[in-house]
Amino acid sequence: MAGGPPKALPSTGPHSLRDMPHPLAGSSSEEAVGGDSTPSPDLLMARSFGDKDLILPNGGTPAGTSSPASSSSLLNRLQLDDDIDGETRDLFVIVDDPKKHVCTMETYITYRITTKSTRVEFDLPEYSVRRRYQDFDWLRSKLEESQPTHLIPPLPEKFVVKGVVDRFSEEFVETRRKALDKFLKRITDHPVLSFNEHFNIFLTAKDLNAYKKQGIALLTRMGESVKHVTGGYKLRTRPLEFAAIGDYLDTFALKLGTIDRIAQRIIKEEIEYLVELREYGPVYSTWSTLEGELAEPLEGVSACIGNCSTALEELTDDMTEDFLPVLREYILYSDSMKSVLKKRDQVQAEYEAKLEAVALRKEDRPKVPADVEKCQDRMECFNADLKADMERWQNNKRQDFRQLLMGMADKNIQYYEKCLMAWESIIPLLQEKQEAK
Amino acid sequence: MEQAPPDPERQLQPAPLEPLGSPDAGLGAAVGKETEGAGEESSGVDTMTHNNFWLKKIEISVSEAEKRTGRNAMNMQETYTAYLIETRSIEHTDGQSVLTDSLWRRYSEFELLRSYLLVYYPHIVVPPLPEKRAEFVWHKLSADNMDPDFVERRRIGLENFLLRIASHPLLCRDKIFYLFLTQEGNWKETVNETGFQLKADSRLKALNATFRVKNPDKRFTDLKHYSDELQSVISHLLRVRARVADRLYGVYKVHGNYGRVFSEWSAIEKEMGDGLQSAGHHMDVYASSIDDILEDEEHYADQLKEYLFYAEALRAVCRKHELMQYDLEMAAQDLASKKQQCEELATGTVRTFSLKGMTTKLFGQETPEQREARIKVLEEQINEGEQQLKSKNLEGREFVKNAWADIERFKEQKNRDLKEALISYAVMQISMCKKGIQVWTNAKECFSKM
Repeated sequence: MAGGPPKALPSTGPHSLRDMPHPLAGSSSEEAVGGDSTPSPDLLMARSFGDKDLILPNGGTPAGTSSPASSSSLLNRLQLDDDIDGETRDLFVIVDDPKKHVCTMETYITYRITTKSTRVEFDLPEYSVRRRYQDFDWLRSKLEESQPTHLIPPLPEKFVVKGVVDRFSEEFVETRRKALDKFLKRITDHPVLSFNEHFNIFLTAKDLNAYKKQGIALLTRMGESVKHVTGGYKLRTRPLEFAAIGDYLDTFALKLGTIDRIAQRIIKEEIEYLVELREYGPVYSTWSTLEGELAEPLEGVSACIGNCSTALEELTDDMTEDFLPVLREYILYSDSMKSVLKKRDQVQAEYEAKLEAVALRKEDRPKVPADVEKCQDRMECFNADLKADMERWQNNKRQDFRQLLMGMADKNIQYYEKCLMAWESIIPLLQEKQEAK
Repeated sequence: MEQAPPDPERQLQPAPLEPLGSPDAGLGAAVGKETEGAGEESSGVDTMTHNNFWLKKIEISVSEAEKRTGRNAMNMQETYTAYLIETRSIEHTDGQSVLTDSLWRRYSEFELLRSYLLVYYPHIVVPPLPEKRAEFVWHKLSADNMDPDFVERRRIGLENFLLRIASHPLLCRDKIFYLFLTQEGNWKETVNETGFQLKADSRLKALNATFRVKNPDKRFTDLKHYSDELQSVISHLLRVRARVADRLYGVYKVHGNYGRVFSEWSAIEKEMGDGLQSAGHHMDVYASSIDDILEDEEHYADQLKEYLFYAEALRAVCRKHELMQYDLEMAAQDLASKKQQCEELATGTVRTFSLKGMTTKLFGQETPEQREARIKVLEEQINEGEQQLKSKNLEGREFVKNAWADIERFKEQKNRDLKEALISYAVMQISMCKKGIQVWTNAKECFSKM
C-alpha cells in the first residue's frame, strides 16, 4: 500500500485531502491551488472526494480538510473526460484459468487474477492471486459501502438453480469467468474505484480471508458520512437531471428485459427447429437406401442437413453463452444504479430538511451551521460523482452494446455462411450425370 | 379382364404422333410453360390421318380456377372449383400457338378420367392426381380446399397430370383423353358408356390374388416392396418437413419483435438511436422474408407428393400382374384336375374325388355310354382349357413385357424429376442463406453506427 502523499500521476487518482480547498472558503480555494482555473492534476484528483491513502481506523480525516465542492472544481470534474485510453493506462487486470477445488465441505471454482501495474499503490509490478466468487461478492459489497456515490459494476448472478444449470460445466464457468473479468476491468477503468483500498487488497493479498476477518473498516470519509444519512427524510422533488436519469434507467431496464425475453424465445424456437432438423436429415438417408441412381444425391442432402444442424447448434450455444449473460448484467447494473440514485435522493432530502429546520428556527445567524454544511457537501459531491459516472457509464454502455449487437449479427452471418457452403457444395453432386449403364 | 395392348377402339388411330415434349417432359416442363420444340426429334409421323389434331404438337394448360356453385346429385347447393383447360396447337411453320379448345372441368372429372385409364391401361404406371384434400400442412397453411393458395397449387398439379398423360407414348393417344380436352358437354356420359366400371377388377379379387398367388414374377414382388417403402419414406419426409417449416416460421417471426423494441429503445437514446432504429427495420425485413421462402418450399413438397402418389400407381400395376398370374395359376390347376378326372374315367381308377364318382358309388354304376359321354365333355373342356391357358400365358407374358417397359420408362422419369427437385430445393436453401447473410450484414452495419 502507498506510503506518503502520492505523486501527481498523469491519470486521475486520489490525492491527499490536505490539499483540498474548502468549498465554502470562497476565493481562497483558488489561491490554495495556485490560482489558475485550468484543471490541474490536483483538482482532478479531488473528484473522488472520499479516497484516502492512509488507513485511519476511525475514518476520520486530518483537520482542515473538507470536500472540494467549490463551483470551479465541480466544473472541472464535469468537463473531465475520464476515459483512460490505452496509452495512459497503468493498471491491467485479467481473470483466467478457472480451477475446480474439491474439499470435504464443498466444491468450488477459483479464478486466477493477474495484475500488472506501475502505480505506487502496488508494491510489486505484478501480482497473481486466486479468488472465488464469494471474494468478488465481498469486494463488491465493500465497494458499495466505501464508494456509495459511485456506480459499482454488477457481478454475474450469484445464485444458480442447482440441477438446472451445472455450476461446473465448461460453458457455465467460462461465461462466469468472462463476466468476472468484465467486472474487474470496469473497476480498473474507473478513475476513482480503481484506487480503492479494498480493490487493491483484492488484487494483491495472499490471504484474503484473514484480511476479511480483520473487519477493518476502510470506510472513506464519504462512505462513512453517507452511511449515516438517515433514511427518514423524504425528497420532495428530484432535480430534473436526476429525474431524467431515473426515467432513462427505468425505460432502459424495461427494454432490456424485453430484449432478453425475445432473445430467449428465439433460442427456444431455434432449438425446437434443431430438433426437427435432426429428424429430417436422416429420412433422406433412409430413402437413399431404397434407391439406385438417387442414392448419392439423397445421401448428399442428408449430410448437408446434418451440417446445417451442427451450425445451428453452434449458433444457439453462442447466443446462450455470450449474448444473454451480458444483457442480464446490464439489467443488474441499472438496478444497482437506481439504488444509488435513491441514496442520492436521501442525501439531498436530509440536507433540505436540515436547511428548512434552520430557516424555521429564525435564529439570526450569518453562518450556516456546520452540520448543514456537511450535508450540502455530501449532496454536491454525490451529485458530481454520480453525474460523472453516468456519463462514463453511457459511453461504456454504447460501446458494450455496439459490440454485443454486432457480435449477435456476426454469429448469425457465420451460421448462414456455414449453411450456404454446405448447400453450394452439394449442387455439383446433385447435377452429376450417372455413368451410362 | 381387359388387357393392355393398344386397343383400336380406345386409341385414336393415327400413327404414333410425337408425344408432347417427349420422355423428357419432367416436372419442369409441366408448369404451364410452353414446351420447347421437341421438334428436333424425328416424329415418325409421316402418315396422313383423318384427325389433324394430333399431327401438330399441342400445348395443354390449366390456366384458371374458378369458384362455382351448383346443385349436386342430391339437389343440394354445393360449392366447387372449376378449372379451365386450354389446348393449343403449335403450327410447325411459324411456331405460333393457336387456341383450339377451351373448356371447364372440375376435380371429379379428372378423377373419372384417371379411373378410366387405370382400367384400360393396367400395365401403365398411370400418373397420379394432385391431392384432393390438403395434407402434410404446416400450421400457417390452410387445410381448406377453398383456400386460394391450395387451389393454385392444385391447378398446377392438374396441369402437370394432363401433361404427363400427353407426354406418355400410349396414353396420349387415348380417345377419352382427347375428348376430355375437347368435348365439354356429354363427356361424362361418353366415359360411362365405355362400361369401364364393370370391367374394373374388384378389390376383393385383387386382395385374394395377392395372398394366394404362388409364382409372381420376382421383379414385381420387389417393385411392390419398393413402392411400399417409398410411400412410407416420402410420407415421413413430408410430415417432418412440415414440422421443420413450422419451426423455421417461428424463428423468423420472433425476430420481428426486435424491430419494435429497438424502435422503442432508440427513443431514449441519443447517439445509439439511429443505429438501433435502422437495425430494427432490418429485423422486420428478416421476419417477413420467411413467407415467400416457405411458399417456394411448398412446390418442392408438391413434387415429392406426386411421387408419393406414384407409389400407389406402381402398386396397381403389380396388383394387376398378381391377379393375372393368379388367374393363370388357377386355370392351370383347373386344367390339371380335369385331365386327371378324364384319365380316371378312362382307366377306371378313382383317385380324385368327384361328386359323380360318389353318387355312382352310392347309387350304382353308370353305363359305359354315360361314361363315354362324360369323357367326351371333359375332353372338350380340356381342349378349351388348353387354348385358354395358352392365351392366358401369352397375355401374361405380354403384360409383363409391356408393364416392365413402362416401369423402366417411369424409373428414368422418376430419377430425373427427383434429381431436379433436389437441385431446386438446394437452390432454394442457397437463396435463403444468401438473404439471411444480406439482412444480418445490413443489421451489423447499423449496429456499428451506434
